[in-house]
Amino acid sequence: MTQTQAKTPFKPVSPVNSKAEQGSLEQFMDDPIEFFGHSMTQMQTIPRDELEALQKQAIAIRFKQHYEAIPILRKLADRLGITEVAEFDDLAPLLFAHTAFKSYPSALVDNKRFDLMTQWLDTITAHDLSHIDATGCTTIDGWLDLLDRETPLNVITSSGTTGTLSLIPKDKNAATEGMYIWKMYLFQTFGEEPGEAELDPKVDVIWPTFSSGKLGHLRIADMVKNGFTGGDPTKFHALYSDAIDTDLMFLASKMRMAASRGELDRLVIPDELAERKDEFIAMQMRQPDEMQAFFAELSESLKGKRIFMTGAFPIMYDIAKAGLERGISNVFAKDSAILTGGGMKGVALPDNFMEVIQDFLGCDRIQMGYGFSELSAFHFACTEGRYHVQPWVIPILLDPDTSEPLPRDGRQTGRSAGYDLLNKSHWGGVMSGDEVTIDWNFICPCGQTSVAFEADIVRYSDKEGVEDDRITCAATHEVHNEAVNFMKQVEM
Amino acid sequence: MSAAYTVPLFLRGQVITDNLVTFGTRSRGDEFAAPDMSKYVDRLPLATPMEMQDLYELSFDEILDVLERLGEALVLETNPHLQEAFAAACLANPLPVEMLRNSYQILGPLFSRAAVTEMAETQVGLNYLNGWVPQPLADGREIRVRAFGSRVLHIPAGNGGLVSAVTILRSVITRSDVIIKVPSNDPLTAVAIARTLADVAPGHPITKHLVVGYWKGGDLTVEEALYKPENIEKIVAWGGLASVKHVTKYIQPGLELIALDPKRSATIIGAEAFVDEETMREVAARAAVDIGVANQEGCANARVIYVLSGTDADGVENANRLGQMIYDELIALPEFMSTPPLYPNRELFESLESSRLVETFYKVIGGEQREGAIVVSQIDEAVDYSPMLSGRVANIVPVDSIEKVTRAVNAYTQTIGIYPESLKRELRDVLPLFGAQRLTSLGYACNVTVSMPQDAIEPIRRMCKWIVDEECDPDVVIPLWKLGSAGQAAQAAADLVTL
Repeated sequence: MTQTQAKTPFKPVSPVNSKAEQGSLEQFMDDPIEFFGHSMTQMQTIPRDELEALQKQAIAIRFKQHYEAIPILRKLADRLGITEVAEFDDLAPLLFAHTAFKSYPSALVDNKRFDLMTQWLDTITAHDLSHIDATGCTTIDGWLDLLDRETPLNVITSSGTTGTLSLIPKDKNAATEGMYIWKMYLFQTFGEEPGEAELDPKVDVIWPTFSSGKLGHLRIADMVKNGFTGGDPTKFHALYSDAIDTDLMFLASKMRMAASRGELDRLVIPDELAERKDEFIAMQMRQPDEMQAFFAELSESLKGKRIFMTGAFPIMYDIAKAGLERGISNVFAKDSAILTGGGMKGVALPDNFMEVIQDFLGCDRIQMGYGFSELSAFHFACTEGRYHVQPWVIPILLDPDTSEPLPRDGRQTGRSAGYDLLNKSHWGGVMSGDEVTIDWNFICPCGQTSVAFEADIVRYSDKEGVEDDRITCAATHEVHNEAVNFMKQVEM
Repeated sequence: MSAAYTVPLFLRGQVITDNLVTFGTRSRGDEFAAPDMSKYVDRLPLATPMEMQDLYELSFDEILDVLERLGEALVLETNPHLQEAFAAACLANPLPVEMLRNSYQILGPLFSRAAVTEMAETQVGLNYLNGWVPQPLADGREIRVRAFGSRVLHIPAGNGGLVSAVTILRSVITRSDVIIKVPSNDPLTAVAIARTLADVAPGHPITKHLVVGYWKGGDLTVEEALYKPENIEKIVAWGGLASVKHVTKYIQPGLELIALDPKRSATIIGAEAFVDEETMREVAARAAVDIGVANQEGCANARVIYVLSGTDADGVENANRLGQMIYDELIALPEFMSTPPLYPNRELFESLESSRLVETFYKVIGGEQREGAIVVSQIDEAVDYSPMLSGRVANIVPVDSIEKVTRAVNAYTQTIGIYPESLKRELRDVLPLFGAQRLTSLGYACNVTVSMPQDAIEPIRRMCKWIVDEECDPDVVIPLWKLGSAGQAAQAAADLVTL
C-alpha cells in the first residue's frame, strides 16, 4: 500500500456514466483506504447521502460478481428469485447467519475427508478451489496450511460446543488491509489529516495470548506482527510462544458435546493428536514459566515504551490483574495504542475492570471497538462511546423474531447485521447474534458524521439466558487445557 | 408491569394469596405473582411424621372414591380452577391454545377407578400398598413387606398438565405427604387440581397431605430451609440437566433423589417400510405423529429418524421420498395435536436454511415458513445440530446397517419408536445395553400410559419406603443366643454360610 498525500477523497456521485466516475466507484469498493486518502477523518465525514449512493451502486455490482462466483449465494438468490440488489433492504433475505459457515457435516473432519471439505468451502468462497488436492491431509491444521499456501485465503475458525467449527474464508489481502485500517484509527486523531508519524508508526506489540493459530483472533497475530512493528519480529512479545492447535480445539469442542450427552467413553482421539500427547503436555507445562518471563520483560525492557496491545476485555483484565498482583503497574508510554472490546462474552468481570486494565497499562486512551467475525470490519468507538460504522459497511438492523429489516429511520433496536464491501472472498452480507441500537437521524457530537451503534451491545444469548454454543476467545486457553487434561487421563 | 396471574400457595387445603412477589415467565414479557415463599417455608413440611398416620387409616377403596370424584370434577368447561390454569398456561407455555386445551381435557380420565387401580396394581402392587405381604424364606423365617409412602418433594416438568396430574396420582396412591414446586411454564395446573380436590374432599386426609406452591429454582432461603432430611425424604426432580444437577447438592443420607432427567428419543425404521407405496404412507403417517404431537416439545417425540434404506443412490432416494411423505403428513396433523410452533428456535431454523444450501449432504423439505421441516441427510450422519431439533423439525438419516444406529443410542435416549415389530424384537435385547429405555411401535412414542416404568426406573416403587417385618421362630430359625455346644456351633456356622 503506497502512502500518498491526502487527496480529494470522493467525487459527487450521480448516475454513473463517465469513466472517471466509474473509476472512483471501483476505488471506493476495492480500495477504500486510497479512496479516503488514508484519512480516518475523511472516512467518518463523508456526507451520508453521498455515501449511500456509492454503497447502493457498490452492492449492486458486488452482488452480480458474487452471484457468479459464490455457489451458495447463487443457490439462495435463485431460490428466492432475486436477480438484482438495488436497495439496502434487498440485502435482508440474502444475509447469512453464522450457521452458513459450519454447514458441512462434522463427520467429514472425523473421517479426514478434506477433499470433501474443500468442495464445501468452494461453495462459500468467491475463489476457485477446484485445483486444490486435499486428499493427503489428515488434520484440520494441515488442511488449512495447504489452503494458506495454495490459495489467496486465510481461513479463520471459531469454535463451538456443538461439536463443529465455523470456517470463514477470509482473504489474505483483506487482513493486511484490516491491520492498516486499525493503525489509521489507533494513531490518527479525528479532525487532523495524518502525517508520516501517524501513517507508519513502529511500536512494540504486546500480544497477551498464544503466538499463532487459525482462530480469528489468533490469525491476526501475524498481521499485527508485520503491520505494527515495521517488520521487526523482535518487537513482537507474546505471552505464550506456542500455537493453538485447531485439531485440539476441535477435539475439545467434541469433548464438551460428548460430556453433555454422557458419552465421553465413546469419544475417539485421532491418532494424529494422540501421537502428540507429550508435546501438548510439555506445552502446558511451559506456560507458567512463559507467563513469568512475559511479565519480567514487560516490567524491565518494555517499561515506558510506546506499544500496541489488543485483546478482548476478559483477556486484558486477566493480564492486568496478574500484572498488578506481581506489583507491576503503569507499564507503558502514555501515547501507546490499546484496542479492546468484544463484550463480556459470558464472563463475569468486576465492575471496576476497566480501572484495573488502566492501572496496569498506564496509557491515556483505551480504544474500544465493535465487530463480529463473519463481518471483517471493526467499528471504532468515538469520544462519546458510540461505535461509528465504517463507510464500506452497510449496517442492517433486523427484527430478532422475524428477521425482517427494521426501518432505517429514527432510533431502532434490533439484531445486528450488515454488508461489508471489503469481504471479497465471501459474501459480505451476514447476521450476528448481537442486539444493537442505531439512531438513524442522530449526528454524534464527537464530530464524526457517520451512522453509529450506541454503546450498549448485548448478545441475545446472554440476554435470554441461553447457553451460548460458542467457545469465546476468552475461553480458548481454558478449553485447550481441558483437551490436554483429557488426553492425560486416557491411555493411548 | 402488573402480574398477569397469581400462583397461590395451596397449603394442605388452605389457599394463600398474601405477601405476593412477582416473577417473569419463560415467554415474552408477562409476569406472575406468588406468595413470598420465604415467609411460608417453615409451614410447608409436616410438623411430625406422626401426622401421616391418618393416611394409613384410609382404605384403598376410599382413596379410589376421592380420586374418582376429583376426576369427575376436572372438566374444563365447568371447573373455574382449570379454566384459570388454562388461561395462565396460554401465557406461560410455548404451546398453542388448542393443544393446551386438549391437555386439560385429558386430565379427568386419568383419575378413574380403572386407571388408578391399574397404575397401583402394576406399578407397586395393591397388596403391598394396603397391607403386609407375607413371604416365607428358606431359613424358616417369615418376612412381611409393606410399601409405605414418604414425605416427597416433587419438582415436575412444565411440558403439559399431564405431569402435574401424574405427580399427584403417584403421591396419593402411595399414601405420601407431598409438596409440589410448580414449574413456571405450567404454573397453575397442579394448583387447580389441588383446589378441585379441596372442593370435592374438604378436610380429607388426602387434601391435608398436599402442598402446591411456587418459588424460583435456586432460591436458597427456601431450598436450604426445606431440602433437609428432617422435612422430606425424597425429591422427585424432572427437567433440565442444570436444575437436576442443582438439586443434587442437597442430597445426603436420609434425603434421596429420584431423577427423571432430560431425555431425547430416537426412531428406527426398517427396510420393510419400502415394500410398497401403501406401507410407506402408513409408516410416514406414524412417524409424523411421533414428530408432531405437542409440537415436539416432549422428550418422547421423534427427532432423529434412522432409516434402514441403505445409502446407495436408490436408498437415499427412498429416504427422500419417505421424507416428503412424512412432511406432508406432519403439516396435515389436526390442530389440537400439532401446529406450527409459536416460538420457533431461530438458531435451529438458521441451521436449517444453511443445510438447504448444501444439497450434497442435506435435502431440506419445508421449513420456509417455520412450519416444521424434514431434513434428509444424504449421508449416514445426523445433522450436527440434532440436539436442537424441536418445533416439528426432524432429521431422517439413511443407514446401511443397524450398527450405525446403536452407536447413536445413549443413556439420554428415552423412547425409541421402531417399525416393524419384527425389527423391534430383534433390537430389544441390544438397545438397552446402550441406554435405551423404552421401545415402542412407531406412531406411539407420545401415546404414553402411566402404568409402566419411566426412564428405566420404577418411580412409584422408588417413592415408597419398603419396610420389612420379619418373624423368626427359634424352633425353626437358628437362635444365636442358644449356641452353647461346639457341635451346635459348627452346624449353625454351616447354616449361616448357606445364607
